[in-house]
Amino acid sequence: MNDYQYDHQTVKGFIVSSIFWGVVGILIGLWISVQMWKPEFNVPPFFTFGRLRVVHTNSLAFGLGIGAIFGISYYIAMRLTKRPLVFPKLARFHLYLFNAAIALAALSLFAGMNQTLEYAELEWPLDIGVVILWVIFAVNIFGTIIKRKDEQMYISLWYIIATVIAVAVLYIVNNLAVPASLTKSYSLFAGVNSANVQWWYGHNAVGFVFTTPILAMFYYFLPKSTGLPIYSHRLSIIAFWSLVFAYLWTGAHHLVYTPLPDWIQTLAIVFTLFLIAPSWGSVINGYYTVGTDWNKMQTHYLTKFFILGITFYGLQTVQGPTQAIRVVSQLIHYTDWVPGHVHMGTMGWVTMTTAASIYYIIPKIYGTEIYSIKAANVHFWLVLIGQLMFSITMWITGIQQGALWKATNADGSLKYTFMEGLVKNYPFWQLRTVAGVIFTVGMLFFIYNISMTIRKGKALAASRA
Amino acid sequence: MTEDFDSTNIEDFEAKDTARKLPIGWLILFWGLILWGIYYFVMYSPSISGWTQEKAYHESVKK
Repeated sequence: MNDYQYDHQTVKGFIVSSIFWGVVGILIGLWISVQMWKPEFNVPPFFTFGRLRVVHTNSLAFGLGIGAIFGISYYIAMRLTKRPLVFPKLARFHLYLFNAAIALAALSLFAGMNQTLEYAELEWPLDIGVVILWVIFAVNIFGTIIKRKDEQMYISLWYIIATVIAVAVLYIVNNLAVPASLTKSYSLFAGVNSANVQWWYGHNAVGFVFTTPILAMFYYFLPKSTGLPIYSHRLSIIAFWSLVFAYLWTGAHHLVYTPLPDWIQTLAIVFTLFLIAPSWGSVINGYYTVGTDWNKMQTHYLTKFFILGITFYGLQTVQGPTQAIRVVSQLIHYTDWVPGHVHMGTMGWVTMTTAASIYYIIPKIYGTEIYSIKAANVHFWLVLIGQLMFSITMWITGIQQGALWKATNADGSLKYTFMEGLVKNYPFWQLRTVAGVIFTVGMLFFIYNISMTIRKGKALAASRA
Repeated sequence: MTEDFDSTNIEDFEAKDTARKLPIGWLILFWGLILWGIYYFVMYSPSISGWTQEKAYHESVKK
């Protein structure tokens, strides 16, 4: 009995679902970017910035991000273990439960139910749902790896294992709470402990949702689509173990200059700076891989997605550690620099690499070619320009904000009022909306291309049958 | 039934590539950051060097 076809439909289901939630998240992102300079776009009580912003982050991180990670991890695991999933029906159930959970999550956030922990906003009944989803994922991934038909474990499998374990630990600990009613709970942690646990979670969500599973994709799909062997397997393994070792210590860099004990802040800064080495291990591994034949940048359309993706990963992993340093943090923390930083990672690295992986998978599971390479190239350039504009405008206005807030008169009073600083943001916030529109148009090219490829694949399958 | 569309086999790549040495520049970065980390932790831990955030703040205000 061969279930690849069935499993592929599950993978495709996750990909299509993740794209759907991606559209929701991106459109809401555009909306809230307008709210920043045009307050009339707030429609209370459900569509104010405070509610929409969490729907934006949740639908993109968990709907687009995790949805794609579930599907693509299943795909990679099947390829590298050389066998179908051990529990195909469970994976299908996983897909349905995932969509139900994300839909309920969005509704509960619109309704204002919120634990007030960033990236852990969902209330306890939904947290339980998320844990069930994760257990299903873990059972299927570990089961498939244990029953693998190939002794060797390629680096992508290690990154997937790290994702499964780390997210489980982080999510459960940070969401420990005492329920007061079905829709309200109180965190088990309070005060500075709560902040410390929250940012241990918050930063490692970045590490184990936006980094490790995306590296799993990068290490698998870059050699696959270029036909070039990864430069050094040894480097990828050493970078992997040092990355997962260091990441979990870094969360307190979000709490520089807070009541958190000084030594914890210092320790987090040390580990954060160290992360440059493992991160750049993967970056140079990517460069040297394509470096054996740079012509691939021209001859295969996906190469540039991966190379630009890993470039933004490289920039992100220098900028991020720099931000942890005390003198930098005191200028840019709490300013718009931070969304600029986050969006370089999410739009430039995560979405770029994920989209390229989807471009690879969808034609493969239908045994066909991508509908239009030209449309994929248009997609590439638009999202690249949109993302750069987004990040750069936010960096400029972030430094400006920080400088204005810190400026003092000789007697120590503040030189600028809050309003004076705010007004100076408007041109940059307006430019950011323009950047968002450019990015969105790019993503529409991607969606069109993928849906046309699916249509082509279905027609092909029908003609074969 | 095996899959027919997987022409590039990642495992075939691995064996010979594992032999590649780690780039020297990367090794310098790796060990350099560890050494810097030890230095920084010693310098900015109140129980070792006596530095505290509060003292540093008061000094900066005095200027």
